[in-house]
Amino acid sequence: MSTVLAGYGLVKKYDSTTALAGVDVEVHERDSLAIMGPSGSGKSTLLHTLAGIIRPDGGQVLLRGDRIDKLGENRLSALRRKRFGFVFQFGQLLPELPAEENVALPLMLEGVPRKEAVERARRWFAPLGLDGLEHRRPGQLSGGQAQRVAIARALAVEPDVVFADEPTGALDQRTSDEVVRLLTSVTRASGAALVMVTHDADVAAHCDRILQVRDGRISNYSPFTVA
Amino acid sequence: MRSPVLPLTWHLARSSGRRGLQSQLLAAGAAAVGSFLLLVMVAAALGAGTRADHTTWRTPDAVPAKRATAVQATTTTYVRDEPVTVVNLAQLPGRRQTPAPPGLSGFPERGEVYVSPALAELLHELPANQLADRFPTVRSYGTIGAAGLASPDELVAVAGRAPGDPVVSKAAGEQNFYDDGLTERAPVAGFAGTKASPFTGADQGTVLLGVVLLVMPVVVLAAAAGRLGAARREQRLAALRLAGATPRQILAMTAVEAAGVGAAGALAGALAYVALLPALAALPYGVGAWYTPQLWVGLPWLAAVVLAVTALITVSAVTMLRQVATSPLGVAQQADPRRTRAVRLVLFVAVLAYIWMSTGDSGQLNTRQLLALLALFYGAFWLFGPWVVDRLGRIVGRRAKRPATLLAARRLSDDPRAVWRTVSGLVLAGFVAGFFSVSSLGAEGPTHHGQVAVITANAADARHTAAKARTALHRAGVTATVTVTSEDDYNSLLGGVDGVTAQVSGGQERVDAAVTALTPLGSGRYPVTQEYVSASDDTVTARVATVSAATLVLSFLVAAASGGLTAAANVLDRRRVYGLLRLSGTPLEVLDRARIRETVIPLAVLAGGTTAMGVFGAVQLNKAAGTYVNTSGALQLVLCVAVGALAVFAAIAGSRPLLRKVTAGPVQTSD
Repeated sequence: MSTVLAGYGLVKKYDSTTALAGVDVEVHERDSLAIMGPSGSGKSTLLHTLAGIIRPDGGQVLLRGDRIDKLGENRLSALRRKRFGFVFQFGQLLPELPAEENVALPLMLEGVPRKEAVERARRWFAPLGLDGLEHRRPGQLSGGQAQRVAIARALAVEPDVVFADEPTGALDQRTSDEVVRLLTSVTRASGAALVMVTHDADVAAHCDRILQVRDGRISNYSPFTVA
Repeated sequence: MRSPVLPLTWHLARSSGRRGLQSQLLAAGAAAVGSFLLLVMVAAALGAGTRADHTTWRTPDAVPAKRATAVQATTTTYVRDEPVTVVNLAQLPGRRQTPAPPGLSGFPERGEVYVSPALAELLHELPANQLADRFPTVRSYGTIGAAGLASPDELVAVAGRAPGDPVVSKAAGEQNFYDDGLTERAPVAGFAGTKASPFTGADQGTVLLGVVLLVMPVVVLAAAAGRLGAARREQRLAALRLAGATPRQILAMTAVEAAGVGAAGALAGALAYVALLPALAALPYGVGAWYTPQLWVGLPWLAAVVLAVTALITVSAVTMLRQVATSPLGVAQQADPRRTRAVRLVLFVAVLAYIWMSTGDSGQLNTRQLLALLALFYGAFWLFGPWVVDRLGRIVGRRAKRPATLLAARRLSDDPRAVWRTVSGLVLAGFVAGFFSVSSLGAEGPTHHGQVAVITANAADARHTAAKARTALHRAGVTATVTVTSEDDYNSLLGGVDGVTAQVSGGQERVDAAVTALTPLGSGRYPVTQEYVSASDDTVTARVATVSAATLVLSFLVAAASGGLTAAANVLDRRRVYGLLRLSGTPLEVLDRARIRETVIPLAVLAGGTTAMGVFGAVQLNKAAGTYVNTSGALQLVLCVAVGALAVFAAIAGSRPLLRKVTAGPVQTSD
C-alpha cells in the first residue's frame, strides 16, 4: 500500500512544553490509525499537525509525497476542505441546517451546484444507517445519529484522509461501538485513510494500527488485523 | 446561612476570562448607550415643556378692566427671518404697581426697553435702520434674564409705554386669522398666563413624537445587551446544575450578574449624560440652544431610567436563561426551529384592514385615525416582523445556490425572532425615514417673499398710507413697488385685510430695512411679512424637520449599535461551530458573508417595506392636513436609508476581527 500521509521528525512546542518531540508516522491508503495516550501526551497535537491545522516547529508533513506544512494559510485551508475530512467529538454540525445540507455543505463550498451536492450527500445516508433522517436538524438527532451525519460530511468530499478527534467521546458504549464500526468500515470502503485520536482502547481496537504517544514521543506501535 | 449567590456570582464573573469580560463590556456599553439616549429623550421632552412654560408670561393674562393695573400688547416682528417677540407694557395711572414680568428686575417704565441677550447682540450687530429703529430710542437697554426666556438665543424685547401709546391701543390688538399667538392685547394685573408662545408651544409635542419613534429601538438595544453571553450562561448552567446548584440559584446568579453589568452600564450612560449636558444644551432646537438646567431631568428621572435599563437587561437575561432552564437540551441544540405562526400575518392584515377602512372613501385620515395607525402599526410590527423573517428564510433557503446564502437563509428560519431583533432597529428607522421625508407640513397657497405689508383701518387709510410708505421707503433707500390691497384681495399677503403692500427689491437686509422704515405707519402694529403670516405652519414644519433629522440620526446610531452588538454576541455564542467549520477548511469569507446576508436579506425586504409604509402614513397625514407632499424629501430618504444601512453593515463588519480571532486556533485543547 502506498503512503498517503506522512510526518517525519515532527516537533511542536508550546512555550516550555514540548507536545511533539520528533515523531515519525506514516498513514497508508485505506489504513486506519488510532492515536492513543494519556491527557497532555500530544496526541491531539499530532492529529492537528498531520491535518495541517497546526504548523510543526520542526519536521515535515507530506501528503502523497507533497510537503504541506509550508503551504500558506489559504492553500492549507483549501487542502483541508478538499483532501481531508473531519469528525470531532461534538458540535461540528450547523444546528440550523438539516442533516443533508450539513453533509452537502463541503461540496457546495467546492463549487458543486446545490442540487448535485445534496444528491451526492444523500448517497451517504443509507450506508451510515441514516435513511429517513435527511431533513432532520442536528438538534433532532441522537448523539450517535449526529456523529454519523458528521462522518457522512467528512466523507462527502471523497477525501484522502479522515481525521477523527475523540469521535465517540460524548457517546455511550453501545452507540460508541456502532459509530466507530461505521466510521472505520465506511471510510475504508470509500478508499480514504483514517487517523483517529481516542482515549478508549475499545474504540482504538477497531483500527488497523494503534500508535501510543507519551510525552510527545511514540512509545508503541500495535498493528492489528481487522476481522 | 448566608446565601452563596452573591459571592459565587462575583467569583464567576471575575474568573470568566477575556471572552466573558468582552461580553460583559459589550453589555455594559449597550446599557450605557441605552440609558444615555433615554435620558436625552426624557430631557428633551421635559426641557421642551419647561421652555414653553418660560414663554407663557408673554401672552396677556386678561382680567376685567376694573382689576387691571396695566395693558399688555404682545406682538411679533421678524429680522433675518427670525421672530422677535415684543411685549409692550403700559402701567395704568392710579392703579397699584404691576409686578415685574419674569426675567425683568422691575416693571418697565415708559421709554425703558429690556432686551434678551441675543437681541442685544443683534441690535449691536445690525444697522439701526434694520432693527433698532423699530423700538423706542433709549440710551441703554435693560436685560431680560433667563427666567423670562425659553432659550439664550431667543429674541425678545419688553418696552415700557404710555397708556395712550398707539402700540398698546385696542386697534393694535385687533386680530386677523394669522395673528393668533403673535399679536395679542389685553388689560392685565400680572403675568400668570398659561398659553405658551407659538414658537415653543409645539416643541414638546414634536419631541414626544420623536421619543415614541425612538423608544422601541432603544429598548431593543438594551434587551440585546441582556442576551449577550447566552451561550456562556448556558454552559455555566449545565456545569452548576451538575455541581448541585438549584435552578433558582442559577437564575438568581444570572439576574445578579446581568443587573450588575446593566447597572454599571446604565450608570455610565447617566454619568455621560450629566457630563455632556452643556454640550447637549448647545444643540439648537426650535427657538435656539437650551439653558443647561432645562435639560437636567432631576434625580428621580435619572434613577428611574437607570433602574429601567437595568431591569430591562436583567429581565432579558433571565428570560433567555429561563428557556434554558425549562429545556436545556432544546435550547442548547436548537432541537426545533423557533417557528412563527400565521396568526401574526392575520393580525397584521386585520390592522391594515382597519386602517384602510378608517381612511374612508377619500383615503384621508383624521388625527385620531393617524394616531391609531401609528400605535397599531407599532404593535403589529413586532408580531409581523419575525413572521416575515421566517418566510423570507424559507423562500431564500429553497432558492439558495451558494453556501453563504444557504447558511444565512437557514439561520433566518431557525430563529426569526433573534434575527428580527437584529434588524428591527433599522427597519423602524426606515419607517421614521419614510414618514418624515415626505411629511412636509407646508401650507398650500401663494407665497409672498420679499413683501412687507402695513395693515390699515380701512381702504381710505390705505391710500394715504401708500403715499407715506413710498416716501419712507425712499428715505430709507429701499427700492420697492407699493400697492394698495383691499379686503377683497384674499390672495394678497394680508389675506383680505385693507392695507399697503411693498414688494421690496433686494435681499433680506432690504426687507428688514423696509420693515423698520414702515414701522411708524402701522398705527402701533409692526408691518407684516411672509414669515409672520405663515409662522404657525412654518413653526410646526421646522420642528418636525428638526425632530425627524434627530430621530433619523439616533435611530440609525441605535440600529447600528444593536446590529453590531448582536453580531458580536452571535460570534461569541457560536464560536465553537464557527471554529470547527473553519478548521475543516470553510473559508472565513463564507462565514462572514453568511453573517452579513442574514442581516442584509431581511433588512432589504423589511426596511424597504416599512419605509414604504412610512411614506404611505405621511402622505395620508399630509392629505388630512391639506398640505403638500415634500417630494424633494425622496432624496433625503434614499440618502438616510443608504447611510443607515452602511452604518449597520459597518457595525456588523466590526465584529469580523472577533470572528477571525475566535476561529483562528484549534477549538479543542491540544494535548
